[in-house]
Amino acid sequence: MYKYILKKIIMMIPVLIGMTIIVFLILHLSPGDPVEMIAGPRASPEVYNNIRTHLGLDQPLIVQYAVFIKNILKGNLGVSILQHRPVIDLIKERLPITLDLGLSVLVVSFLIAVPIGIIAAVHRNTWADYLVMSGALVGISMPTFWFGLILMYIFAYKLRWFPIAGYGTWKHLVLPVVAMSLNDTAITARMVRSSMLEVIKQDYIRTARSKGLAERVVIYGHALKNALIPVITLLGLKIGWILGGSVVIEIVFNRPGIGRLMVDSIFARDYPVVQGSMLVLTTTIILGNVLADVLYAVVDPRIKY
Amino acid sequence: MVNNKVQDELIKTIDEPLDFTEDELIENTKVKSDFWKRLFKNKVAIFGFTIIVMLVLVAILAPLIAPYPFDEQSLKNMLEPSSLQHWMGTDEFGRDIFSRIVYGSRISLQVGFIAVGIALSIGTVLGALAGYYGGIIDYLISAITDIAWAFPTTLLAIAFIAALGPSLINVMIAVALVNWSAYARLVRGEFLSLREQEFVEAARVLGMGDLRIIFRHILPNAIAPIIVLTTLQVPQAIIIEASLSFLGLGAQPPTPSWGSILSSGRSYIQQAPWVAIFPGIMIMIVVLGFNLFGDALRDVLDPRLND
Repeated sequence: MYKYILKKIIMMIPVLIGMTIIVFLILHLSPGDPVEMIAGPRASPEVYNNIRTHLGLDQPLIVQYAVFIKNILKGNLGVSILQHRPVIDLIKERLPITLDLGLSVLVVSFLIAVPIGIIAAVHRNTWADYLVMSGALVGISMPTFWFGLILMYIFAYKLRWFPIAGYGTWKHLVLPVVAMSLNDTAITARMVRSSMLEVIKQDYIRTARSKGLAERVVIYGHALKNALIPVITLLGLKIGWILGGSVVIEIVFNRPGIGRLMVDSIFARDYPVVQGSMLVLTTTIILGNVLADVLYAVVDPRIKY
Repeated sequence: MVNNKVQDELIKTIDEPLDFTEDELIENTKVKSDFWKRLFKNKVAIFGFTIIVMLVLVAILAPLIAPYPFDEQSLKNMLEPSSLQHWMGTDEFGRDIFSRIVYGSRISLQVGFIAVGIALSIGTVLGALAGYYGGIIDYLISAITDIAWAFPTTLLAIAFIAALGPSLINVMIAVALVNWSAYARLVRGEFLSLREQEFVEAARVLGMGDLRIIFRHILPNAIAPIIVLTTLQVPQAIIIEASLSFLGLGAQPPTPSWGSILSSGRSYIQQAPWVAIFPGIMIMIVVLGFNLFGDALRDVLDPRLND
C-alpha cells in the first residue's frame, strides 16, 4: 500500500517540475518589462541596472530558474509589486476562501448527484429517468459563469434573499455553490446512472436477487458500492475542473480567493503574484489528483498494489 | 511432423501471388457504412446536428442575417430593452445585441473548429507515432502528454494568456495547447490495440512502409473515437474562449465574442439584464447541440452502451 502511494508521489514530481517551468516562463515570455514597471519609465540607467541586478534578471535563464526553485522550496514566493507584501501572505489569506467554495461544491454535488443518478438508473426509461437526464444535459451545457450571473440577478438583486457578492457568512456561499454545482452534479449524475446500469447487469446482482434479498438491500447494499467506484475516479478530474472554474465564479461574485488574485494580478502585471498564485493553485490540484488516485486504490479491491 | 503433401500445399500458397490489392485491404477494414444510416435515423443526433449546421450557417451568412454592423454605436439608444428595431435590445454603446451575437458566432466557430483542429492534428500524429512504434518514442511522447494532461485546462489557458497577452489568436493557441493531450492519449490507446490486428500484418507483408500503414490503414479505423472526442472538445473550447473573453483575457473590444458581451452585461446586470441573458442562451444552445450529437454518436458507435 505504501509502495503504491510512494510510486504515485514519485510520478507526481516530473509533473510538478514541468509546471514550475511553465509558470517560470510566464514572466519571461510576457510582453512588458518588469524592471521598467518597478523603476518607472523615467529612471536613470544606473537605477534601472541596479534593479535588474537586484532582481537577478541579468543572469542566464537557467540560473534564474534555479534561484526560482530554491526560493520556492524555502517558501519565498517573492514580493507583490503592487502591494509591497510577500506573495505568500496574500496567498495564505486567500487560499481558504477558494478551498471553501471548492470543497462545498464537491460535497453538495455528490450529495445530490448520487441519489438522482440511482433513481434514474433504477427507474430506467420512465419519466423520472428522462427528467433527470434532460436536467443533466442542460446542466452540462450551461456556462457556469452565466448561470451564476442569472442567479445573482434573481436571488440577490431582485428577491434579496442572499447578498450580491463578497464573502464571510454561509449566505455568501450559497449562490456561488449553486452556480458551480449545477455543472458538476450533472456530470456526476450521468456517471452514477451509467455506472449503476452496468453494475445491475452483473451476475452478482442476479445472485443477490435470486437469494431473495429485498430490492432495497440489493441496490443500496450491493450495487451502489460498486457503482461508486468509477465516480471516485472522476474525483481527481473534478478537483481540476472545480478549482479551475472557481477562478471565474470568484470574479462574478467578487469573492477574494486565489483565482481572483491571479486574474487581477495578470491585468496589473504583478508577475510575482501571478507566478505564486498559479504555482499554489496548480500544486493543490496535482496533490488532489494524487489523493484521488490513492482513494481509488483503497476503494477498489480489484486494484493490485 | 509435416508430411510431404502438406509441405507441397504450403509451398504453393507462399509462391502464389497475393489475391488482394491494397485498395481492397482498405475497403474491408473501414468502419461499416451502415453506421451513417443508423446515426441519422437517431432523432437526437439529427437535432444536435441541426443546431451545429445552423451555427455554421449563421456564422457564414452573418452579414446577411445581422440587421446592423456589430460595432455601430448609437449613443441615443443605449441599454434599450428588446424592441422591433432591436430584437435583443442594445448594449451600453447603443450597439444592436442581436447583430453582435450573430457575428459572435464566427468567433466561437473559429475557436471551436480551428483551435480544436490544431489540437486534433498535433495530438493524433503524436499519439499515432507513440502507439505504433512503442519503445523509446512512446516513452518520450507519453511523458510529455502526461505532463500536459495533468494541467487543469482553464488555468493552463489563463497561464498562456498571461504570458502571450490577451487576444483572440492567443486564445486559439492556448486552447490548442490545452486540448492536444486528450487526442494523443486517445489515439495512442487505439493504435496500441489496432497495430496487433491482422490487416496490419497483411499490409506489412504487401511491403508497405510504416507511415503508409499508419495513415492509410490504421488511422481510418480509429476515426470514430476521434470524432466522438471532437464533439466533446469543441464545446469545451467554446466555453474556455467565452470564459477567457469574459475575464477580459480573450477577444478585445469591439470584437463581439459572446463571452465579452456577457462581461459587459455583468456591469449592467441591474439596469439591463438582457445584455447578459442572450449571449448565455446562445452559448448554451450551441454546447447543447454538440453534446446531443456527441451522445447520440457514442450510442450508435458502441452498441454495448445501448440501454
